[in-house]
Amino acid sequence: MAAEVLPLAQLKLPSGPSPVTPEQRYWKSFKNQKSHTSTASWPISHISFPAGNANPSVLSTSFVAAAKANDLFAVTSGPRIDLFSIRKRELLKTIGRFDSEAHCGEIRPDGRVLVAGEDTGRMQVFDVAGGSRAVILKTWHVHKQPVWVTKWSPADLTTLMSASDDKTVRLWDLPSNDPTHVFAGHSDYVRSGAFIPNANGNLLVSGSYDETVRVWDARAPGAAVMTFKHADPIEDVLPLPSGTTLLAAAGNAISVLDLVAAKPLRLITNHQKTVTSLALASHGRRLVSGSLDGHVKVFETSGWNVVAGSKYPSPILSLSVITAGAGQEDRHLAVGMQSGVLSLRTRLTGPAAERARAAAAVEAALDKGSQAVDRLDAQRARRKRAAVTNKAMDLLGESVDVVIPSDLSGRRKQKLKPWQRHFRSGRYAAALDDVVDMAAPGYQPVTALTLLVALRHRSALREALEGRDEVSVLPLLRWAAKYMPDPRYRPVCVDVALHLLDLYGEHVGASAELAAQFQALLGKVSKEVEKAQMAIQTGGMVESLMLGMQ
Amino acid sequence: MTSDMEINGNGDTASLKRKREPKDDPALSQKKHRRKSKSKLPSAGDGHETGDSGLQKVNGDVELSDAPSPALLPKAVPWKVSKPMGGRMLDIDPIFSPDERHLIITYNTSIQVYSTEDSLLVRRIPLPVSGTEDVGEAVAVHIVSSSLSRCDPDYIWVACSDGRVWYLNWTSGEGADTPFRVEAKKVLDAVVDAVEINGAEEDVLLVLQKLTRSSAQIVAYNSHALSTASGKLLHTYDENPQYLRSAAGGRLIVATAKEAVHVGLLKPKKLASLEDLAYRFHSFDIPDIVSSFDVRHTTRTTKKGALELQAVDIAVGGARGAIYVYQDLLSKLPGESSAAPKAGTVQPRKYHWHRRAVHSVKWSADGNYLISGGYETVLVLWQVDTGRLEFLPHLLASIENIVVSPRGSSYAIHLDDNSTMILSTAEMRPTMYVSGIQSLVLGDRPSKDALVRRVWRPVDELTSPLVAAVNPRNPAHMFLCVGNGQQAAQTGATSSTPLLQVFDISTFHGVAKQAIARTNPTDVNITSEGAPVIEPTATKLAFSRDGKWLVSVDEWQPPERDTEAFLTGSKTPAEASRERKEIHLKFWEVGAEDDSLQLVTRVTDAHHTDQTEAIFDLAADPASSRFATIGADGMVRFWTPKLRRRDGLAATGPEGQPLRSWSCSRVVSLPTYEQQDDSAEVPPKNVSRSGAITFSEDGSILFAAFGPPSGGLVAAIDTETGEFRDVISGMLRGEIRAIKSLGSSLIMLSEDLVVYDVVSDEILYSYSLKETSEAAKRFTQLAVNYESRSLALVAPVPDQAQAKMKKGARSELVVLNIDEDEPQLVKTFPQLITSVCAAPSSSGFIIVDSAAQLWSVTEGSEQAPLLQSLADLGVDAVGVNGQSAGQELALQEGEASDEEMEDADQDVEMREDEEDDDDTHAVVVAPQRLAEIFDAAPAFAMPPIEDVFYQVTGLFATKPVNT
Repeated sequence: MAAEVLPLAQLKLPSGPSPVTPEQRYWKSFKNQKSHTSTASWPISHISFPAGNANPSVLSTSFVAAAKANDLFAVTSGPRIDLFSIRKRELLKTIGRFDSEAHCGEIRPDGRVLVAGEDTGRMQVFDVAGGSRAVILKTWHVHKQPVWVTKWSPADLTTLMSASDDKTVRLWDLPSNDPTHVFAGHSDYVRSGAFIPNANGNLLVSGSYDETVRVWDARAPGAAVMTFKHADPIEDVLPLPSGTTLLAAAGNAISVLDLVAAKPLRLITNHQKTVTSLALASHGRRLVSGSLDGHVKVFETSGWNVVAGSKYPSPILSLSVITAGAGQEDRHLAVGMQSGVLSLRTRLTGPAAERARAAAAVEAALDKGSQAVDRLDAQRARRKRAAVTNKAMDLLGESVDVVIPSDLSGRRKQKLKPWQRHFRSGRYAAALDDVVDMAAPGYQPVTALTLLVALRHRSALREALEGRDEVSVLPLLRWAAKYMPDPRYRPVCVDVALHLLDLYGEHVGASAELAAQFQALLGKVSKEVEKAQMAIQTGGMVESLMLGMQ
Repeated sequence: MTSDMEINGNGDTASLKRKREPKDDPALSQKKHRRKSKSKLPSAGDGHETGDSGLQKVNGDVELSDAPSPALLPKAVPWKVSKPMGGRMLDIDPIFSPDERHLIITYNTSIQVYSTEDSLLVRRIPLPVSGTEDVGEAVAVHIVSSSLSRCDPDYIWVACSDGRVWYLNWTSGEGADTPFRVEAKKVLDAVVDAVEINGAEEDVLLVLQKLTRSSAQIVAYNSHALSTASGKLLHTYDENPQYLRSAAGGRLIVATAKEAVHVGLLKPKKLASLEDLAYRFHSFDIPDIVSSFDVRHTTRTTKKGALELQAVDIAVGGARGAIYVYQDLLSKLPGESSAAPKAGTVQPRKYHWHRRAVHSVKWSADGNYLISGGYETVLVLWQVDTGRLEFLPHLLASIENIVVSPRGSSYAIHLDDNSTMILSTAEMRPTMYVSGIQSLVLGDRPSKDALVRRVWRPVDELTSPLVAAVNPRNPAHMFLCVGNGQQAAQTGATSSTPLLQVFDISTFHGVAKQAIARTNPTDVNITSEGAPVIEPTATKLAFSRDGKWLVSVDEWQPPERDTEAFLTGSKTPAEASRERKEIHLKFWEVGAEDDSLQLVTRVTDAHHTDQTEAIFDLAADPASSRFATIGADGMVRFWTPKLRRRDGLAATGPEGQPLRSWSCSRVVSLPTYEQQDDSAEVPPKNVSRSGAITFSEDGSILFAAFGPPSGGLVAAIDTETGEFRDVISGMLRGEIRAIKSLGSSLIMLSEDLVVYDVVSDEILYSYSLKETSEAAKRFTQLAVNYESRSLALVAPVPDQAQAKMKKGARSELVVLNIDEDEPQLVKTFPQLITSVCAAPSSSGFIIVDSAAQLWSVTEGSEQAPLLQSLADLGVDAVGVNGQSAGQELALQEGEASDEEMEDADQDVEMREDEEDDDDTHAVVVAPQRLAEIFDAAPAFAMPPIEDVFYQVTGLFATKPVNT
């Protein structure tokens, strides 16, 4: 029956013009950046990992399991391919057996072999599963120009495609020495290509410097089944998991192409320079793009609006959102740059995140000293005991009919913070001192605002400001002066300032610090008055303009 | 019902004056008032006012028919007013029946008996408290006490301040019509005890009555003496005692005056008649003003076999918060020989926790504990010997009365928010809860906190009407804006009503209470200076058409005493306070099942100029989910919901449901009535403007009335384009109160009630209000029912004696049909009406009055949707005459076959076979639930009989128990 004691609800201020959205928070949570510079700072041209193009609906279950168990991703830079561990974010081995610049190192979905092309036109398949050295399993030297794309089919293990500067796209079978299909039709270098999912490995797409995106069908040999002409050379193509929509990076725009209607849907022009790389994230519901302008942008895939973004110090050549775990959650945001730096940002979830937090807490405690470590240990022991008790209760639940929980509400009572306790018991001045302390660790201006507004609602503002000495008045004045320019804080700041003037105005002469602080307040206020006058003048001018228009 | 019609020969009622003009009035023969269609921009709407202002003065005309006035030609009135339900619980201890199965609660106009098993109303016994002939005196008449008869526990004695005493049988309701009358100027308190007279126990009523301003007397009556109105005078005081108790079969009576306790001990050992009753009185002073007290006694049997008082403990609660306990008082009082007690011999123990007056203090059954409560909303349990405290904190409102049950196993607690609960003493959990309408009432007695002068005074008048709305999705649920109890609400210039009570009018109990504005029930409710903390006032409430959305407006401004530091220049405190006003427009999503509200959007300063401006009116579009507001800035704003989007993605809630938010979709600036002399441009601040809006029935037009008292304009705004279709002038006189649209008619209420046909451009009829004082205007309200095409107007009846809406103010209800200019129903209510709502999906209206009573006004044969007590339903007899519930029900519902009913009955028995059958009532089915099933469609369009059968059994059958 009795009402529950709740802490004072935090004030909800009107959100500004660009509030932080959940999406932005999500992409901000990719942190803990790790940079890895390639040998001789070769630009990072390609990043790939096997699960990225595995299609579970087509592949067998063991195949999927293998893909999920995979711990490797491949980073192509110069004449080398580095293999990294997803779990540890560490370099495991390097494949350096290229005569010239390597391209498009791709690991097969089962994680056992890797294919890569190179500038000489040679294509090689390496065994990456065992041993520290990668063994060459197969070599083709059919292309006479640099091979830019080598990709494994999502449908079966032995099929792969290649695209080359010799204007052809080819389909290969692993055991045979010659391509099974050759698709000719591009009139310039083919620099990008992919298998289209949900097509049983029969449909291919390629983007070329002849400014076209062509769709090829292995069942219909000859010319491309579909051609999309663009205004700029195509840098990257990316089919969406549905298999009906294509994305193509052409110049500084990304075009959205509908394969069913055979027409372009939209042109995304958010980047300032050439878009070099496209990747999917969040189970195919987000598009991530990297550009030479150094920006990574995240788009949603229905209206193609930018939902998040970040800036990198160097032009971006390649990127990938590497997934891990059973749920294929986004784990790393890997960005390869012109400067040869590979940036890995990681988002931890579940137990991994907890472990990371615990490790961070230990680090922090060690920095602080032995007392903090003891406290941490005690806290851990307490948690452990609670967990044991809970487990005992769970087991108890098996044998008895009803377990009456010890506290009735079922959840822990929220603990009041010190200032909330002060406030509840009417020690308003103490509460105010707590929240306006800008040096305090948990300081938030909105907390101070919440308290001041609550004090005003309770007719206790003056009481909280009264009876202070020089030292305790100054933080309040400083606070009021700092937040006076914010329109959301202004009414309260004005009230506080008026009260302070009324209460302590007479002591200004006696204290230099007080005088200085009041002077600072005056400065802020006059600046605001100036701004307001400017706004009024502008308003007047615009108004007369509008009158003239009528 | 024709007797209700109070219309004189001119067609005037108590509050309305019929406007008539001679038939050959030249203005009337022109008939049409000026009107100008315009579809120009709003700015152009200003200049249209040219020389026909003289015409506007006379346009309140009516074309008279030659039919005689209705008063001369009585006709059948299709409208009827139900019996009132509810009321306000008085500050009188609730009574437990001796078997603790019923709780008898004294209301301001009735006695209501509730079952403690299931909190259901068993019987409502209305008492004609203020229904006496002389209305003038009725002002102060109120019930002062009610107590259970000691000889026959089926009866209670109820004393009224004007000297009437009822001897009521609460198990049957008899006796309400035949009060006894005692000769008294004013009865202050009364108490009943069983006194042994001539060997037989007999109820003796001890009445404390006022003699002069500073003297009072106690008179004893038995039933014989009551019928002859000649009691035995026991004692006369020089001061003015307020409370009276007796104990141990009349052997002891205790009366408390302002700062003194008078203890009377029965002198004779044996009584031959009432005349022998005589007491020896002692008195001693109390260090505080008495606000409550309780007496506890133990008796012992003497050697002769007679009972004798052994010990008497008195606990006195003071108005300043202390409790004084006098233990074993008998031994400390002087014997029969000495005349007066020596000063200092009677020393109390002092227990002080309460901050303010102790509203109630009671001994526990065993005498080891004291239970007290007051304004702090905390129930305090004192261990008397050690002074140890236990608390039950943060009850919902200040505690008014505490009663310990006869067995001592539970407490009945009456709270100031018009609710009573029974708490079990073992685990302090409520076992029964009765919650009435928590609207503000005009109280009978000042609060006990007012015994001491404080830095503020509670307001004793009603300043604003009750804000209420009925949920269209669930017509039984009425939403009322209420405060944290009467005393907490009436603290400032405007009442604090931060809560929304959901009240089910068919079962008549509060369903839920939710805060719609800032409120702090768990925090200290007074400032350190002792002034109350003022909470926001809800001023408007409206449901969307489908009942999924609720919009509320609340206001708050700091009290003027807080604004001293802000007075710069020539600013007055009122201005400084006004500058800091906070007005919020809030959009709530109403939960489908439980009427829970979830805040969706809060708009601060919805209407503003250089400061925030009042929102005059709020209207819901009857055709879509859209609202409109009109504010003091002369703008109409339309509000529509939209899917909340973030970067093009629909934002979703925790369960993935799409989130919506409300935003202003259109702003229309209203034209104002311009005075001819444009030179004197008055700043809008100094002119008090008013406004009202309403949507047309199809939602295509919004009618907005706005302007200064000198003359407002009504603009018809196309809701699609925002253009003006029409501007109508000259219809409004004085402050605009309301505007409603019904079909092609527009009903405008200012100082006149004008019904105007928009299509044919003529006034159908008009009335002018007789009472135009500020307070009266606020309580003049209008409601429109679309089903019956009727409108209800409530207005206070003019009363020269008082300018404020205090106790004794009355209201009149006038129901008019839109097509007929004669009122369908005119009725004066004994109380001020604070709210009138149209009942959705029915043709009637619901009225709430200042005594927290609910009235239903219905048309024709329609059933009032109000609760009927179990007695009225005929199911209260369970356990009294031993009939099983199922049989009773079968009698009630003749249509259902007997076998079915017996089956249902067996189900009940199987389910709770250990329990006593008599402990449960049969299912209570409100009559309109049946009506909903059977009147859903005309006979030829009824659903299959099987469906109807299952619907009916669904109502009556018990729900399966979830195991």
